[in-house]
Amino acid sequence: MITIFGVPSVVLFGQLLLGLINGAFYAMLSLGLAVIFGMMNIVNFAHGALYMMGALGAWILLEYFGIGYWWALVLAPLGVGIFGIVIERTMLRPLYKLDHLYGMLLTFGLSLIIQGVFRDWFGSSGQPYAIPAALSGGTNLGFMFLPTYRAWVIVASLVVCLGTWFVIERTKLGSYLRAATENAPLVQAFGIDVPRMVMLTFGAGVALAALAGVLAAPIYQVNPLMGADVIIVVFAVVVIGGMGSIMGAIVTGFLVGLVEGLTRAFYPQGSSTVVFVMMAIVLLLRPAGLFGSKPEAAGGVHVSLDAPAPAFRTEILLFLGMAALLIIGPAFVYSGFLMKAMLFALFACAFNLIAGYGRLVSFGHAMFLGTAGYVCGHAAKVWGLTPELAILTGTLSATVLGVVTGWLAIRSRGIYFAMVTLALAQMIYFVALQAPFTGGEDGLQNIPRGKLFGLFDLNDHTLLYGFVLVVFLGGFLLIAQVVRSPFGQVLKAIREHEPRAQSLGYSTDHYKLAAFTLSATLAGLAGATKAVVLQLASLTDVHWGMSGEVLLMTFLGGVGTLYGPVAGAFIVIAMQNYLASLGQWVTVIHGAIFVVCVLAFRRGLVGELIAFLGRSRKPATPAKTPQAAPEAG
Amino acid sequence: MAEMLKVNGLKAWYGESQALHGTSFEVNSGEVVTLLGRNGAGKSTTLRSIMGLVAKRAGSIRYDEKELVGAPSHRIARAGIALCPEERGIFSSLNVRENLLLPPAIRPGGMTVDQIFELFPNLKERLTSQGTKLSGGEQQMLAIGRILRTGARLLMLDEPTEGLAPVIIEQIAATVKTLKTLGFTILLVEQNVTFAAGLADRHYVMELGRVVDEIPGPAFADRIDSLKTYLGV
Repeated sequence: MITIFGVPSVVLFGQLLLGLINGAFYAMLSLGLAVIFGMMNIVNFAHGALYMMGALGAWILLEYFGIGYWWALVLAPLGVGIFGIVIERTMLRPLYKLDHLYGMLLTFGLSLIIQGVFRDWFGSSGQPYAIPAALSGGTNLGFMFLPTYRAWVIVASLVVCLGTWFVIERTKLGSYLRAATENAPLVQAFGIDVPRMVMLTFGAGVALAALAGVLAAPIYQVNPLMGADVIIVVFAVVVIGGMGSIMGAIVTGFLVGLVEGLTRAFYPQGSSTVVFVMMAIVLLLRPAGLFGSKPEAAGGVHVSLDAPAPAFRTEILLFLGMAALLIIGPAFVYSGFLMKAMLFALFACAFNLIAGYGRLVSFGHAMFLGTAGYVCGHAAKVWGLTPELAILTGTLSATVLGVVTGWLAIRSRGIYFAMVTLALAQMIYFVALQAPFTGGEDGLQNIPRGKLFGLFDLNDHTLLYGFVLVVFLGGFLLIAQVVRSPFGQVLKAIREHEPRAQSLGYSTDHYKLAAFTLSATLAGLAGATKAVVLQLASLTDVHWGMSGEVLLMTFLGGVGTLYGPVAGAFIVIAMQNYLASLGQWVTVIHGAIFVVCVLAFRRGLVGELIAFLGRSRKPATPAKTPQAAPEAG
Repeated sequence: MAEMLKVNGLKAWYGESQALHGTSFEVNSGEVVTLLGRNGAGKSTTLRSIMGLVAKRAGSIRYDEKELVGAPSHRIARAGIALCPEERGIFSSLNVRENLLLPPAIRPGGMTVDQIFELFPNLKERLTSQGTKLSGGEQQMLAIGRILRTGARLLMLDEPTEGLAPVIIEQIAATVKTLKTLGFTILLVEQNVTFAAGLADRHYVMELGRVVDEIPGPAFADRIDSLKTYLGV
């Protein structure tokens, strides 16, 4: 048998073929994302869910209606495309003038809803989909065996990708699309119905995802979560390739697939992380991406959601009120719930420090929570450290991770920042899944609580509660002070207008990195303490779902307000505790809250309350509505 | 002469700040009319409002007996109005040919591509260049040229001479005269008074978002002093 660098050639070619197949799907998905982003400035987080809908749609057509593969190739994309058009009409259209992040948040909520609903209907186990008869079998190429269906997928995706490229780059319709990407109002002023064109583009991009889903159905198991992890890899592909280049999306998609295949052949452990390593390297060397010519423009029209800070005395009263409620809380509510809620509140406050005050919305904050939990658990369980030292170790690990990831991520901004942090966190997730000391799927269990400073036994519930209370209130006060400090003011200035802050002499990157690291540290503090309290560190805490939850808490409560994240965390944790019997519908409710928040109250509960109080106090001034900044006349 | 465009009490807002406070004027078929005024007087905003590019507007814009003040901009374009914007709006992701052919023909009677090349021979040699790689003058020619194909009868040119060399300005002046003889109606926004004086049938002076004076073309020389007061030159 021939071997290449110790790997049998059959294995190598097999992995390369698999890589090419994966690459075909990455290419089709990132192509759709790029087209949609170009036209609408929306990063369609629901792209993975719509890809899943395509695959599951094919399965449903076959299972319930007896409609086979070839018709499914037409019908599933058509159905999903129409579904996409309905979404565009009803939900996305009001968002075009807002910050691009809102589009990403809304579609994130949509993907939770779609995936939750389908999981409720079909469960999370995979459904097999048979290869159509005409494409079964294969050919022996001499050096490897090539299944016909896989060859078909590669050819079909190449045809679809190049066809899309041709339409966009070489046809009249494509020139409309390209022109509208640059300056939509002017194209409309030439007599082209741009809103309709945007609608159809979204429908087409989404149909492309569904088509990829149908093609994927016979290769992968069809299940409601099949799009969830793919979309994160596709985001990394998009960052590697750079938004805005159609050919770049196609080439990068196949390239990433091939690199994955090669890695699987030579170093299988690294195959799930290699994409993210590639992304990190590209970010270091070419922040705009391999094919991207322009770094992201300033993130659209900025709508300030900042609430007026209450007077100092009010703040002290508010803080004392919250402390008092939490002290007497265990008399009325289960203390375990309160402790969990407080730790998540601290996590959300830490997140809010950069998302609300620094406007760096991270989609990967779970990595700090989870990593600190693992390190703290390991320190307490294996090294036998006392809880305060274990928590300190865990927290410092989050600090270090914050410095490294922050250093990479702050090279990008806006939605790119969101995608980069998401991808980095996914890398940490895979490390946690595979590393020997994390316990893989089981996690670290039975972490000893131990004696605080060797004196206070944390197995005593009152002491434990007091300890969590002190950690939470301490962290909260620290954040409140940071926000109020000159450092916090500079941070807000950077959020409002970064070039202006730079022109005043501030090294804005240093400020952003410092804020990011501080946020990571406090998130780590929450994660480490949580590991001690729950005696458990698990994959849940590093999963992207957790990053989504902290986003939800913060946006529901009110981003950029001190108490918003606290309120949001208590509500979300309460929902999880008391609605747990609803199963998948909790995810759907989360998603629905995202959608409602983005569409109806972007200030969040606390933010809207503050705005309402501000209005009723000064009835003479008209209500200030968020709107487009004046343009030059 | 038949009235083509009648703007009455036009108001427009950028966000919460009002830019037009009741602008009124009219343009007759076949005329060249200029809007003069200082920076910030509302000239460009008037053109953008007519084109439907300013979201919030009130009052009346009647074109060919049709009310356009509430219409979306693609509907306005299809009524027969075309804009050559101040920043020229050449698309960098399109080459010169694509830029030229971008605006769809909305009615018959537009110029052919060959006729446009006769007006602007430079364009013909650069058809495959990226649109924004052209010189400023060529970009201006491209921006004017591409709205001649569509069959629009009212052309609105927003400061076509801005930042261009005198020799190019002369060429553009000659173009405007040619277009007039071809029957186009032209609404011109200009800062360059000498350029405007040689071309226009009538001038309107704008101040603080209103039309404050009308000067017939022949009276331009007599009124130059009052015009200087308006423009502060």
